[in-house]
Amino acid sequence: MNHIRVGRWISGGALVLLAGVYVRALAFTPVERSQGLAQKIFYVHVPAAWATMLAMGLVGVASILFLMLKDDRFDRFAASSAEVGTAFSLVMLTTGPMWGKPIWGTWWTWDARLTLTLFLFFLFIGYLLLRSAVTDAGLRARYSAVLGICGLVLLPFIHLSVYFFRTLHPQPIVLKPSAPSLPGPMLVTLLCSVTVFTLLYVGFVMQRYGIAVVRDESEPHHG
Amino acid sequence: MVDGMPANGGYMIAAYTAAAVIVLTYAVALYRRGRRP
Repeated sequence: MNHIRVGRWISGGALVLLAGVYVRALAFTPVERSQGLAQKIFYVHVPAAWATMLAMGLVGVASILFLMLKDDRFDRFAASSAEVGTAFSLVMLTTGPMWGKPIWGTWWTWDARLTLTLFLFFLFIGYLLLRSAVTDAGLRARYSAVLGICGLVLLPFIHLSVYFFRTLHPQPIVLKPSAPSLPGPMLVTLLCSVTVFTLLYVGFVMQRYGIAVVRDESEPHHG
Repeated sequence: MVDGMPANGGYMIAAYTAAAVIVLTYAVALYRRGRRP
């Protein structure tokens, strides 16, 4: 129960901070001249993408640890992180096309970055469906751990796809070998938003983990 | 709005609204699941 309570406090605080990020992004961050106001979608799209990658990365790491140590806490954490990651990937996949339409002239294109990102979303959905479909707790944990590791392997391909393939999607402007190519106020807003999305991820996962603990205690065979 | 800048604020509002709706819906769903006995 403690995880749920702490998670709620973190999530609540992060939601308040998210409102602050909205105000800063919309009212106090300069408008990019060539893209117009649509460029500000950047401050929710990129942090949502970050939280999605963080979620799947930790699903993969927890899955490896579960297979090595056979500790149910890692399986429970992976399931929690996958569910939260699904929510953030939905934010990423919703805001991306809304930015793409006015800038690229199309909602969607089947290039490497976008297609792999959509595949990641389907991996999340598949992971959750797998967990709900397999009734045996041991098998469910092992099967989903394998799928979680597949998700972890996919992440570098998504990040590097903009270098290897022709794509409409811009290359990284912060997570790259050289210094971030973003004006100061925009970079500060982005980093604030990334921090808040990370806090939201932590709060949501703690709550979801706590719910799983309570459920496992009352129904040991539930996923 | 600066002259010559594209008028695409509607997309920004839609994206920010969609992100808020998804995050808040999930936050409320988690809260309700956590309260269930």
